[in-house]
Amino acid sequence: MKELIKYVAQSLVDNPDKVEVTEVVGEQTSVIELRVAKEDLGKVIGKQGRTAKAIRTILSAASTKVHKRAVLEIIE
Amino acid sequence: MSSKTLEIEGKTIDAAIETACREFNVPREKLNIEIISEGNGGFWGVLSKKAKIRASLLSLDVSFDLNVKENAPAKTAAHVITSAKDAPVLPTREIKAAAAPAAVPAVTVLSADSSAPKAKELLAGILQRMSFECQVAVQETPEKIILNIEGDGSGLLIGKRGQNLDAIQYILNKAINRSDTDRKMIMVDSEAYRKRREESLMVLAERIREKVKKTKRPVSLSNMNAHDRRIIHLALQEDETLTTKSRGEGEYRKIVILPAKRGNAVHHHSRRQTPGGQSTGYNKD
Repeated sequence: MKELIKYVAQSLVDNPDKVEVTEVVGEQTSVIELRVAKEDLGKVIGKQGRTAKAIRTILSAASTKVHKRAVLEIIE
Repeated sequence: MSSKTLEIEGKTIDAAIETACREFNVPREKLNIEIISEGNGGFWGVLSKKAKIRASLLSLDVSFDLNVKENAPAKTAAHVITSAKDAPVLPTREIKAAAAPAAVPAVTVLSADSSAPKAKELLAGILQRMSFECQVAVQETPEKIILNIEGDGSGLLIGKRGQNLDAIQYILNKAINRSDTDRKMIMVDSEAYRKRREESLMVLAERIREKVKKTKRPVSLSNMNAHDRRIIHLALQEDETLTTKSRGEGEYRKIVILPAKRGNAVHHHSRRQTPGGQSTGYNKD
């Protein structure tokens, strides 16, 4: 899951080396925290949060596939 | 239309369509599917209402003739790169108005700086990390790059109303078309979903056309994305008795189909009655 978010985020931003992803594994749900360079924040969120929404959709599809749940947090 | 029509219920629309295919013993492309109810009110697999479809054999006048296999080498100059040699190239089709077949420029598009391989690699990378083990086939036309995921048939990759496909497609477009130059639309498809969706939207458009004509009242459809709205607009644009409009913002944007304004109808009517037929000089194509 972590790898997926990292891969997607790196494809979107200008500073791929500044993409950091951490995963907090919970009992049922794991929380994935995404940190990017300040100037790239807009790129992963997108207009009206559209990009963020798309990333979350992909994440939920991927976690459904392995019968888990995951939440994406984009950290400023 | 064909003489034989069947109504079939299933857990999902896909399941019902599969049953229909078995029932008629023909591939899915040969069937005319009308969706009666989508099976609402539930998430994935936990549908509270059964999906219901009406299926009949596709007659010639509604059959889709844009089989890429047939006309690609000659006309559209589409280049097909298949990731696996034995992977079948699914017939894809472009959305076209009912107009004459568009003259596609005979330019070979697979230039050296094409972003198609990049897009394919990115998609394959995403799928791999989503633990979907699928092959991706690339096809490039002058307007767009079509990435077809040879799915596992579960529908999980497509998502409810194609939301997963749309999300992947959106990300790919963002990631690949980052520079302002050489933008090219990327379309992601799997299990001929785009085609099936378009067919069901066309059926919907026809049903609404009848309804608006009969009731003379506007009908609004549920929220749709731009691509889906476009299909409805195009399906009804040639009908002078009604007009289509989009209302709302963003995700909530929806189509409203209205009966054409009376003024237009009168104009149209009087023109027909004009003797000689040329005095108005009014020609609407």
